[in-house]
Amino acid sequence: MKEVVVEVIGTEPPCVRCQSLWKVVEGAVSKLKSGRERVKVTKLNVSSKETVKRYGLVMSPAVSVNGTVRTMGRVPSEGEMLRILTEALGE
Amino acid sequence: MARKLRTSALLIFVAAVVGAVIYSRIVAYSLAPTMKPADFQGLPLWEIPIAYVWDYLQHGIICLLFAFVAAGLFYEFLPREWVVKRMGSRKAMGYIIGASIAPLFTVCSCTMVPIFTGILYAGSGIGPAITFLLMAPAANVLTILLTGEIISWEIAGVRIVASIVTAVAAGLIVSSTSWGKKVENEHRVAVDKKASMQLLKPPLDERLWGSLKFGGYLAKQILPFFFAGLIAVSYLEAYLPEELVSGYLTGVGGVLLASVIGGPLYTPTLVEIVLGRGLMDLGMTKPVMLSWLMGQPYDIPNMMATSKIVRWKVVLTYALIAWVFSVVFGLTYGFLTGSL
Repeated sequence: MKEVVVEVIGTEPPCVRCQSLWKVVEGAVSKLKSGRERVKVTKLNVSSKETVKRYGLVMSPAVSVNGTVRTMGRVPSEGEMLRILTEALGE
Repeated sequence: MARKLRTSALLIFVAAVVGAVIYSRIVAYSLAPTMKPADFQGLPLWEIPIAYVWDYLQHGIICLLFAFVAAGLFYEFLPREWVVKRMGSRKAMGYIIGASIAPLFTVCSCTMVPIFTGILYAGSGIGPAITFLLMAPAANVLTILLTGEIISWEIAGVRIVASIVTAVAAGLIVSSTSWGKKVENEHRVAVDKKASMQLLKPPLDERLWGSLKFGGYLAKQILPFFFAGLIAVSYLEAYLPEELVSGYLTGVGGVLLASVIGGPLYTPTLVEIVLGRGLMDLGMTKPVMLSWLMGQPYDIPNMMATSKIVRWKVVLTYALIAWVFSVVFGLTYGFLTGSL
């Protein structure tokens, strides 16, 4: 069963919306009915060269799942985040 | 069903805000403060800011509401993926997008620097990055709407044109300098072709609600400083002698002075507009106002933040270019309209 890597892409230090996004992601993960242990959540700095190398120009706050950016420039609702996670876990 | 109701409610709200602005146009209700400096001079010290802020709110609240709602809507509905892909590629497109789309990315200052670095590292390079950097604070939705309402639509229009020309010119010039090229090459990063974007598109009511929430977020960030600025300006209107203003802030000398002060002087977002209006009530002329407003993108905090990424030589280059253009545009506008 594959791991689901969730990367929260924001500014360093995190701006208000980046912090909200982090909370939304944590909240969504905690509401997962199953598969929680397969989800790994990390933070990326949107302005770091490593992030830019992997994703190019990204509008923070953004969330990527398994290398694909799913939301950008906004804070998704917990419901949306949950849908994204469930979809990824199902693959 | 609940979804459709929500969508309709939100759309009605947006329509109501737009309607209020249009209505104010039709009945010629000014959306700018109407009290003049003379009105303040007789008031007791503590009453001055209250009178000024009240005057402002009575007229300007619709404008502010509209500005933040519009900012939120533009931000939510602009095609992010498309913009990000184009700003991250060939040069010419980068300039066009930097100049035309940057204004819609309302000043969420925490997004501006990351986008600037993103364009520099991954995208079209230092030219478009500088264009974006100068364009975003100069001609974004909030700034232009407020300039139009509080000062005049003529100046707002000229401000847009002047900002575009300055931003693009600065970008082109910096990208052609040896130190600009050096910075660009130092920072160029090869973007992994594998990374992809598959943005989730939420339903309309969530997007509308998100726009309003973002507008509210901007308002929360900007308004406290804006009102502090209003209080400061109220005292200026009451106590700054008109002779001082008409002596120093008119004519060619005025344009030069405004460009030098207006630039490095940091003013919180939108305060430069209110401050400018106050000075205009005290006798500052239109071209000097233009020069003053055009100083917005090169204030000290901005320059310091950018210098951490691109080094001072580049920062000073674009600051110099921005200053020159603010003088040139101020003088040209003054001669063309005979209002120096």
